[in-house]
Amino acid sequence: MEAIVSLVGRNSKVFRRDKTSVFFSLLSVIIVIVLYALFLQKMQVDSIKQVTEATPQMITMVNEWLIAGLLSMIAVTTTLASFGLAIKDIETKASADFLTAPVSRAAIQMGYVLNAFIIGSVFSFIALIGCEIYIVATGGAWLSFTSLLKVVGILLLSVLLASLFNVVIVMMVHTLNAFSTLSTIVGTLLGFLCGVYVPIGALPSFAQNIIMYFPISHTTLLLRNAFMESSLADVFAGAPAEAEEQYKLMYGVTYKLHDNVLSLSTSYIIIAVTIAVLAVLSITLFHRREKRLG
Amino acid sequence: MKTAIQVEGLSKRYGQHEAVKGISFTVEQGTLFAFLGANGAGKSTTIEILCTLLKKTSGTVSINGYTLDASRDNAEIRKSIGVVFQESLLDERLTVRENIWHRGKMYGLSKKELMDNYQFVSSYLHLGDIEDKKYGKCSGGQKRRADIARALIHRPQILFLDEPTTGLDPQTRQFVWKTIKQLQAETNMTVFLTTHYMEEAAMAHQIVILRQGEIVAKGTPDMLKTAYAYDQMELVFHNAQEGEQWLMEQNISYTEKQGIYTIRVESTLAALSILKQVEPLIASFEVMKGTMDDVFIHIMEQGGAA
Repeated sequence: MEAIVSLVGRNSKVFRRDKTSVFFSLLSVIIVIVLYALFLQKMQVDSIKQVTEATPQMITMVNEWLIAGLLSMIAVTTTLASFGLAIKDIETKASADFLTAPVSRAAIQMGYVLNAFIIGSVFSFIALIGCEIYIVATGGAWLSFTSLLKVVGILLLSVLLASLFNVVIVMMVHTLNAFSTLSTIVGTLLGFLCGVYVPIGALPSFAQNIIMYFPISHTTLLLRNAFMESSLADVFAGAPAEAEEQYKLMYGVTYKLHDNVLSLSTSYIIIAVTIAVLAVLSITLFHRREKRLG
Repeated sequence: MKTAIQVEGLSKRYGQHEAVKGISFTVEQGTLFAFLGANGAGKSTTIEILCTLLKKTSGTVSINGYTLDASRDNAEIRKSIGVVFQESLLDERLTVRENIWHRGKMYGLSKKELMDNYQFVSSYLHLGDIEDKKYGKCSGGQKRRADIARALIHRPQILFLDEPTTGLDPQTRQFVWKTIKQLQAETNMTVFLTTHYMEEAAMAHQIVILRQGEIVAKGTPDMLKTAYAYDQMELVFHNAQEGEQWLMEQNISYTEKQGIYTIRVESTLAALSILKQVEPLIASFEVMKGTMDDVFIHIMEQGGAA
């Protein structure tokens, strides 16, 4: 146990001191913020104005929508970046040093996964605090305590999902070159697959289906619901119920798959099942790799 | 004397290629053991198998009384060995002290033991001036010191070093050697190292020479020297033709390069009697004692067995 704690400590220090890696892990998030500042926010506000009266709360709601997307992306990009160390250790043969110590290969692997989970959680919480300050500074209200608990819970769930998702894809690459290509692909696709770069409703239906079948996008959806709960009610207070429904479908606050509106518990189930499947898959892949190495 | 490492019929096959072909040798406890061979001879493969990094194809290996690859024994083996790799593998962004501490914690030592051990390695390898320096900012020699300190942090009984001096400057090489010899002498640690420098191997108690996965010679440096090295004398004649004729008359075989005739002599003293006879013909001469390099070169050329 002490060995795993020490490995996690080492992995975490090495990652945190690699400022370039940290920066690049946040790059796709930075791009989203820039796009949002340039035009995404205005587009969304304009379209809501057509169905209801413009209020300051509307801006807050749209900001919260963005924050939900950002946080679900950070969970993926930071955990992925932290796995870069695992690849680097293999490529530079640094892992040989751990393998000659009396710790199992499973413990070494666990050291990387736990580190990814911790790095992802810490970055998510820092981002959450920053976002909340931004919301309040621009005239919004702090999240209520119950909403905050919900958000924290969903964040931990998304970081867990992202850690397992990434450990599976990372086990398929063996060089740093392949890894950086993979990171670029994930970083780019993620914004689309979570409906952050382009609202889901603006996409053709096959693309919408892809997003809805992409488990990580359900963490985005849950975060949107948790963040926007009160502001949605306020903004659409004077508007017809269909207008609110339209908005929710357009912006991925609610998913409608094959004409069925998915409930939030469906999203939780999808996430939980995916976590279970990825956990089993990663353990299987790990054992297969160990056998091959032997 | 107790046996530290016992290797019996060890082989390693990669597909069709057999990198190590059924080698056997014994390393006594508390000795310095050198594994010598050209690049690709199978040194690294063997050391990786002994360090539990690589699975052997066949053969039996016992280290400190534990059987390699037997259930649970590998963990015991790992506890009792320290490894210095050919490359510097510690984390560049961590300080020397952080590196050693993090890795030291993998051995299940108590905090007190770890602290005591750190004190020991720190003073032994003079880490004082570099322990708070980032490993990545250390010079080649400082890195090597840190590498050795890391390998010793759990006070192993056997220290493996894979080409510990390759690519180092002469001064650092000397420091590394001094440290290894001192460690071995003072702590009675078993040291197993690979090298392709014969002069380094000459400082070991036992040498095994490997060629293409097979042991071609083993013994003490003296034994090998007696068997494979001989003294030589170089002669330069006033008149090359006369000189050549004289050598042929005496039935002495020679090699010639740019007017320098090299002949083999039984000993440096034996050169004297030849010199007395040939004195009027020569302009200069030089007698060279056989070196360990000759041993290596001759074994590689002939592939004999001692």
